[in-house]
Amino acid sequence: MNTVPPFDAELLRRYDAPGPRYTSYPTAPQFSPAFGEAEFREHARRSNSDPIPRQLSLYVHVPYCFSPCFYCGCNRIITRDFGRSGPYLERLLREAEETSQLFDRDREVIQLHLGGGTPNFLRPAQIADLIEGLGRQFHFSRSERRDFSIEIDPRLIQRGDIAAYASIGLNRASLGVQDFDPEVQRAVNRIQSVEDTLAVIDECRRAGMRSVNVDLIYGLPKQTLAGFSATLDTVLEVRPDRLAIYGYAHMPELFKAQKQIVTADLPDPETKLKLLGLAIEKLSAAGYRYIGMDHFALPEDDLAQAQEAGGLHRNFMGYTTHADCDLLGLGMSAISHIGDSFSQNARDLPSWENALDQGRLPVWRGMTLNEDDVLRGDVIQQLMCQGEIDIASIEDRYDIDFASYFADAFPKLAGLEADGLVRREPTRIVATSRGRLLLRIIAMCFDRYLTQAADSAANRPRYSRVI
Amino acid sequence: MTSIPRARRPNPIADDGDEFHFCSTCAFSAACLESGYGKPELRELHVLVEHVGPYKEGEHIFREGDEFNAIAAVRAGTVKTYVNDAEGREQVQGFFLPGEVIGLSAISQGRYPCNAVALDSVMLCRFSFPTMAALATRMPGLQAQLFRLLSQDIGKAALLAGNYSADERMAAFLISLSRRYAARGFSARRFQLTMTRTDIANYLRLAAESVSRVLRRFQDEGLVRVERRDIELLDMPRLEGLARSVLRE
Repeated sequence: MNTVPPFDAELLRRYDAPGPRYTSYPTAPQFSPAFGEAEFREHARRSNSDPIPRQLSLYVHVPYCFSPCFYCGCNRIITRDFGRSGPYLERLLREAEETSQLFDRDREVIQLHLGGGTPNFLRPAQIADLIEGLGRQFHFSRSERRDFSIEIDPRLIQRGDIAAYASIGLNRASLGVQDFDPEVQRAVNRIQSVEDTLAVIDECRRAGMRSVNVDLIYGLPKQTLAGFSATLDTVLEVRPDRLAIYGYAHMPELFKAQKQIVTADLPDPETKLKLLGLAIEKLSAAGYRYIGMDHFALPEDDLAQAQEAGGLHRNFMGYTTHADCDLLGLGMSAISHIGDSFSQNARDLPSWENALDQGRLPVWRGMTLNEDDVLRGDVIQQLMCQGEIDIASIEDRYDIDFASYFADAFPKLAGLEADGLVRREPTRIVATSRGRLLLRIIAMCFDRYLTQAADSAANRPRYSRVI
Repeated sequence: MTSIPRARRPNPIADDGDEFHFCSTCAFSAACLESGYGKPELRELHVLVEHVGPYKEGEHIFREGDEFNAIAAVRAGTVKTYVNDAEGREQVQGFFLPGEVIGLSAISQGRYPCNAVALDSVMLCRFSFPTMAALATRMPGLQAQLFRLLSQDIGKAALLAGNYSADERMAAFLISLSRRYAARGFSARRFQLTMTRTDIANYLRLAAESVSRVLRRFQDEGLVRVERRDIELLDMPRLEGLARSVLRE
């Protein structure tokens, strides 16, 4: 399952249609403002009542960036005023204090991720304060297996920062690179030298970080095969433990920053596909394993190992080895997954601040999952993580007959099977090597909300294209 | 696939009765049938049960001190009984599964000596106690069944009073649930723990953390598999061995 899948341009072209990324099922467009603080508290309370309550995974959102990257679709605030981080941090800790009281003390935090925005917009001393503060409110696991990670913008890293992160317990780093081609960097407003970036990776290693991830993007303006090829060579030379190769989704009507991108500079669909093909070819040759969606890892990395052992999971932070944690998101726009619920914090800073200043939790919207949601979420999770659905395990866990329960999905699957994307066996539905780059397409067959949305096209949520 | 129904949330009624037949979880059907009474005969005697519910999770069925006039059998769901001690702390007395009867301990006082609350969606079968008692004088089978239920109720409360280890308590709890589900035609090996961790801890007189610690160790040792509220008993002989001293066998 875990070699890098073969690249098939014809197939990818045919299936280049909008679709969700399934970092959750149901996806965020299904969240409703009818789900608020009271519902959040109730789900948190219930989550303590399992005989063995789940461990906790904390996500902390730092929304600030000092400069806008034009491709970005994240929720962030551009400012050069580094003084804004102080008040934000202070409220974050208040949110942590309020929220931590909802969870029983013996529930260990096994995963902590600082995301953004730009988490290293905060200085190391502030990050230390943050982690120390969280450690006072929550019970941090001391296990070797705990993952405490940070997304890094290498342009903001100063000498000694990485060592400082390691000394406060961060053991994984993820670096934004995108492309080293100077033309591309100018077109997306992100100038980042090869030397500085590689120096940060080197420092991460010397500081003893357990893994380093590098994010690249294909489909950016001014991107060429030669330029991206050189970027891949440079990155692969230092062998990051993990690589994410994201496709750029141009949706300027949704993401204001993308309006700065000149549409004419974008590679045509043919070139975009060739860029992906190139990346897959090079990663495969370099011995990387395909984890799923946009993610690759070295065979000895925890993710590749977990996939082999069937212990891989996927959440808003991407792939993880920590199965079945309750995920608690702190900070503006952060998403939580507690028990059978999803919820999201206020998406703009004033609303998030006001809620906390008035002593409320800043929950903006969410949903309570019904049994069907949980079941379909499980099916999609299996597909995204293992590349196949184990029919017996689903039938057994949910007391259903798979074939009749998913009768509506089977005609769609038959179409995908005819195209060689899936193989239906009596006990499993397997994404073929051709289909593994199109897991989203296969997952969409099991998404009840897409079927509903297709009936009322006007309400259909807007998703990025699959490729 | 197994044909034994698994007790899922909310606990299903294994087989709902109709005008002429008892529900399969009925606490009295065996006694009545033994004495030659079916549902139609009982209706003529005006003792036939009244189906009530569903009670929602957290809803009280009766409270301590309420006047006692009916005993009720659980048709579906789980009922917890508890009292509040002098400091106002809750003390869990027991959990009642489909086919089990609540309110028996009120018979001597005329008032309920405890609170009963639904832990999930609960359906009950209610009998007027005076009518039932009158009928029992004419129906030896029914009287014996009432006595049996009464003594079981007393026995259950006394089980955990001894000086047992956390492992023994937990094993006894799981084995007891397993047998009770099995007696009603549900799976003995897989069921749902419908009570919260705090309730289990309170009932077993353990700390909540100990409940999780023991279950986690049981899981590591291959005795059970726990997935959220679902539990599967993997090694019955060893669990029974651990439970033996508590269950007094």
